[in-house]
Amino acid sequence: MITFIIRRLIGTVFLLIVVSMITFAIFFLLPRLAGQNTYQLATQYVGRNPTREAILQVEQQLGLADPLYLQYGRFLRSIVLGAHYNSGTGSTYCPPPCFGYSFRSQQPVWPQMVSDLPVTISLAIGASVLWLVGGVSIGVISALRRGSFFDRFSMGVALAGVSLPIFFTGLIALELFSYKWPIFPNVTYVSFTTNPLLWARNLVLPWIVLAFLYAALYARLTRAGMLETMSEDYIRTARAKGLPERTVIVKHGLRSALTPIVTIFGMDLGLLLGGAIITEVTFSLHGLGLFTVMAIQNQDLPEILGVTMLAAFFIVIANLVVDIFYAVLDPRVRY
Amino acid sequence: MRRRRTFGLAAFGAAAAIALAACSSGGSSSSTNPASSPGVTGFNAAVTSVVNPSTTKGGTISFGNSSAPDSTDPGNTYYAYMWNFTRLYVMPLMTYKSCPGQCGLQVVPDLATGPGVVSDNGLTWTYHIQPDVKFEDGTTVTSQDVKYAVERTFDRGLFPLGPNYFAGLLGGNAAKYPGPYKDKSSKDKMGLTAVDTPDATTIVFHLAKPFADFDYVAAIPQTAPVPPNKDTGANYQLHPVSTGPYMFQSYQLNKQLTLVPNPNWKASTDPNAKQLASKITMTMNMNANDIDSRLLAGDLQVDAAGTGVQAAARSKILSTPTLKATSDDPLAGFTWFAAINTTLAPLNNVHCRMAIEYAASKTNYQDAYGGPIGGAIASNVAPPNLVGYKAFDLYGATTDPGGNVAKAKAELQACGQPNGFTTGITYRSDRPKEVAAAQALQASLSQVGIKTSLHGFPTSTYSGNFAGVPKYVAQHNIGISFYGWAADWPDGYGFFFYIAHGKAISPAGNTNQSQLNDPVVNNLLDKMTNTTDAATRNSYTSQIDMQIMKDAAILPGVWAKSLLYRGTSLTNVYVQSYYGMYNYAVLGVKS
Repeated sequence: MITFIIRRLIGTVFLLIVVSMITFAIFFLLPRLAGQNTYQLATQYVGRNPTREAILQVEQQLGLADPLYLQYGRFLRSIVLGAHYNSGTGSTYCPPPCFGYSFRSQQPVWPQMVSDLPVTISLAIGASVLWLVGGVSIGVISALRRGSFFDRFSMGVALAGVSLPIFFTGLIALELFSYKWPIFPNVTYVSFTTNPLLWARNLVLPWIVLAFLYAALYARLTRAGMLETMSEDYIRTARAKGLPERTVIVKHGLRSALTPIVTIFGMDLGLLLGGAIITEVTFSLHGLGLFTVMAIQNQDLPEILGVTMLAAFFIVIANLVVDIFYAVLDPRVRY
Repeated sequence: MRRRRTFGLAAFGAAAAIALAACSSGGSSSSTNPASSPGVTGFNAAVTSVVNPSTTKGGTISFGNSSAPDSTDPGNTYYAYMWNFTRLYVMPLMTYKSCPGQCGLQVVPDLATGPGVVSDNGLTWTYHIQPDVKFEDGTTVTSQDVKYAVERTFDRGLFPLGPNYFAGLLGGNAAKYPGPYKDKSSKDKMGLTAVDTPDATTIVFHLAKPFADFDYVAAIPQTAPVPPNKDTGANYQLHPVSTGPYMFQSYQLNKQLTLVPNPNWKASTDPNAKQLASKITMTMNMNANDIDSRLLAGDLQVDAAGTGVQAAARSKILSTPTLKATSDDPLAGFTWFAAINTTLAPLNNVHCRMAIEYAASKTNYQDAYGGPIGGAIASNVAPPNLVGYKAFDLYGATTDPGGNVAKAKAELQACGQPNGFTTGITYRSDRPKEVAAAQALQASLSQVGIKTSLHGFPTSTYSGNFAGVPKYVAQHNIGISFYGWAADWPDGYGFFFYIAHGKAISPAGNTNQSQLNDPVVNNLLDKMTNTTDAATRNSYTSQIDMQIMKDAAILPGVWAKSLLYRGTSLTNVYVQSYYGMYNYAVLGVKS
């Protein structure tokens, strides 16, 4: 197992290097292949309606006239060691991992993303706990009571959860529970270290709204998985051996049914950590998702590049964690 | 001139009741507290009166913003709401008088002791600054701090977002001055020869050509002093050194800004601002509809952008009498119009252009912008909140708002196109109101035989690549281009130069999309730069407007309005005419 983890970690590093090459190629190489000159390329780094002087400054600061391998080397070096950018009176240090410098807002991208990370992490983890516990529980009960009123009702609600978009449920939730009946007024992010109670209270609505969508998916998935697993021969054998029903369901049934759940959970959490875009926009939470939306609206290429790299990182790491967890969950899986 | 506005943002207002009083808030002089009529309340109360006048101190004013400021550096911002908001923490040489109604269009001294003293045949403007204005750290503001602030604006690489008037107006080495960071010729960073500082309280601007509107240019936040030894270049936006009633306490870029009272600000030096609240916050990048809901719920007091509430909130406010009574619908200062190409056949014949003026349904144009609440039907180009504005109506916009098919056809006959003609219409495809207006115009013109094709382009490339490129419009038979304009300063020159002077026509990014090059208009605009007498100068505004309408070079659509909601806890609320939104520099909040 330790060997497996070390091998995967080394592989992850190589994978991230490949991701950086692909990202660099998309942002720096493809436009050149499409016929853009360095001036046109620099234009995309300065936001909307840039001045000629601003574009020339960017062209020079990014060294766009240098050979591509030099530019990539500089790009990698800045991720590992950081970089300096002209601020007029001196230079602004972009600490590692320096994913670039936003020439529009004239600040390094990484510190802005770091300040947004706690919001996204709080939102993602809180919602994931809710949807995992809620969705799996409902799925298990529905499977065990197949055809019952509970089963039909919960699957109906799950269908609603899957069908209703977050911006709809979010706005309804805000209208009812924040404005009309101010049970959760003024939804604003407060850091956990500042006030844990306010942190939780202000995130309850976004958690529930986000979890509602995913819980519905997980309930249906769990139900399907449990129905399949509980009809296996070894479940009948376990019951015949006289094991308690709870042991049969949890240790034998659920454990097997969880494998696809774990896979999807890893992907979902990895994606969410890159920014729960719609939820953050709906609730005006300054996380990576809102950061991404603003970067796109402002046509700020360095910020878009930074978010792309970070999102890729989270997905790669999430997949690694899932693979490791497989071995824990399923004794048949050995690497 | 162009003043950028944010789009789709909710604005709100302040509470209704008006109790009048001789205001003496925070020691400010009576010039910022005009007497308001006792008992004035209700819809549009803050357009002409101060709502909730008060001297009560304390409390927090919370601004919500659906985007982030282009910059909080006063030398690098071009949004109307930021020019309003920066008055909370900086004092430019001149400013606009803080009062409701038309008096809010007057430019008055702020850091300066008086308007510029003109000499040398209009080429020299001398200002004296108040000797006892201090920065937030207690150091005294000098004329060199103002000169340095102006010099910074020349570095268009580092500060590309603000206007560029000084580089175009000043003489000396202004044409080649690279800014203080790149200027190797001067060790003390005072290398701009067009600006002299003979002593600590005197600053002298040497212009390349006479420019009678220079006091307005001095009112731009770029003249707010910047101490050279505290300048941090691109990072100055994170904490500009304050001369206003408030100073930066904290700023998380693009997220939240917190201002607290500046202990070294004196009300006697800054009669156009107040220091009432204990704290002012601006939360940025919020959902626009969320801002409206929080305004109505009282969780926010002001929508920073000041461009009006969203459609959902507008319906709610207009259909609820109590909410409507606490809202205002002022003129925003914009005119939304369609520029008619004066060079493209057959529109190079004035009668063909007049046909468009008569055929267009102004009612449908107004409906596209949200009806009477969204804008008033424009009978001429200049908006009513422009100094020198005079109302007139050559083509029946107000008497015949649905259009006049008979008169349109008569004009088509006169221009030799009795069966109409074909032309293209451009518009900004990411602006739903403009899309609707273009479609409405197409329908109107088809009734008289003018067949049009619609061409939509994103705002980001509209002027630079399409409608603002004369070669492109000629090659693609674009006869009509939808556009809009607001004045960088509220007089005729500030409004008309870039949309009507022949010299403003440029090969790309062209703002004179009519490509009008009328010697009458050009001469009147040129005369404005040389005429120092304000009354005479302002009389040219309506003459220019009339000539443009006689040329039928512009089809005025609506004078934009913004439905603002007044936060019920706000005090001293009124619309500052120049900004077309509430005056942020004087607000307070009920404790």
